Amino acid sequence: MSRKRLFVTPYRCIDCKNCEVACSFVHTRDPRKPSLTRVRSYTLRNDVKSVVLCLQCDDAACQRVCPTGALERDPETGAINRNDKCILCKACTIACPFGNIHFDPTNVEIVKCDVCEGDPACAKYCPTGALVWAEKPIPDEKVEENVEVRTLPWAMTMPVR
Amino acid sequence: MSDNGKTTVRMTIDGRSIDAPVGATILEVARANGIDIPSLCYHPGVEAFGACRLCVVEITKPNWEGWKKLVTSCLYPVEEELIVSTRSEEVIENRRVVLDLQLARVPDSDVIRQMAAKYGIHDTSYEKRKDADTCIMCTICVRVCEAIGANAIATLSRGPEKYVDVPNIDACIGCGACALSCPTDAIPMTEENGVRHIWDKDFELVRCEVSGEPIGTPEQIKHFAEKSGLPESYFTKSDRQRKKETAADLARVMLG
Repeated sequence: MSRKRLFVTPYRCIDCKNCEVACSFVHTRDPRKPSLTRVRSYTLRNDVKSVVLCLQCDDAACQRVCPTGALERDPETGAINRNDKCILCKACTIACPFGNIHFDPTNVEIVKCDVCEGDPACAKYCPTGALVWAEKPIPDEKVEENVEVRTLPWAMTMPVR
Repeated sequence: MSDNGKTTVRMTIDGRSIDAPVGATILEVARANGIDIPSLCYHPGVEAFGACRLCVVEITKPNWEGWKKLVTSCLYPVEEELIVSTRSEEVIENRRVVLDLQLARVPDSDVIRQMAAKYGIHDTSYEKRKDADTCIMCTICVRVCEAIGANAIATLSRGPEKYVDVPNIDACIGCGACALSCPTDAIPMTEENGVRHIWDKDFELVRCEVSGEPIGTPEQIKHFAEKSGLPESYFTKSDRQRKKETAADLARVMLG
């Protein structure tokens, strides 16, 4: 059985914030806390829209810097999840070169994308296909190959900004 | 693995038969199976210590001829045929004594007051400690600091005078993990205008080189960079700023 993965196609993003609302609602059950979202969409310069969430890097900086082994990969979903070994040193939030792991001061915990344990709400509510949870990416005439989040070619290999 | 090559042991907790992984502790197995054992000094991220005595349970075995004993479940490894009771009369009485004593030690701690109230203790039967802070001597802070590798926090003195402090403030990297991990909020930490105050020391925070948001203390960043082997250039921007830049990079990669 082939596994489902999260595919991002940033240029399809229209910055509608559906993903942010879905994410924060699923993780906090509070629709009034969009600040706690793990996925963010942006309107960049020249009106370019883009969406970003944890890339679940193969050799992840967050995992490398964690002193207690609190960031573990789920073999089922491929996601790196925070477990209860976290001692809140926040090293991961500073080390992640992509800014995808955060400290939530309200609930005093480290938060990151867990692909909703294999059923990501962001992809479910994305109206344009910028985020897709599927076994294969949607064929696209604009680019040869869609970016699979987990195996993004430059994850950990890209020179650090 | 145990001596006979098995990876699990068959044991009983509160009448439930459970296959538990060899090497796990009673507390871990109980919690993994939804059985609640209260604790104060246990933290899954650091080595178990057995200090608070709140997680004590009663154990016996079929060949013990009726003998039972109380053990700290956070330290006691599971064994074949072990019969555990987490709710026997002796166990509950032990918890009551522990919470009663803690309430005398930290009468102002909300966490301890709420825990004690669950066992029907609303006021301590012992003499209250004078000028009490909310430290319960669980030493989670000591062990957290050790796990991080800073080793700045220690217990000092002995007996009733024993207390937790930072004997050498230069060892403290100001990361604040001790304050955030403390179950009774006994370690004050404030952050204002880019300065973090903890253990009576001010740490000027490094700011994101783009957005200016405070990231962490210089000592903390240097320490984490050294420990992880990642270059210090990984620690120069705030997570918010980096996320935004990643979004821009993604768009650039896709659109060429």
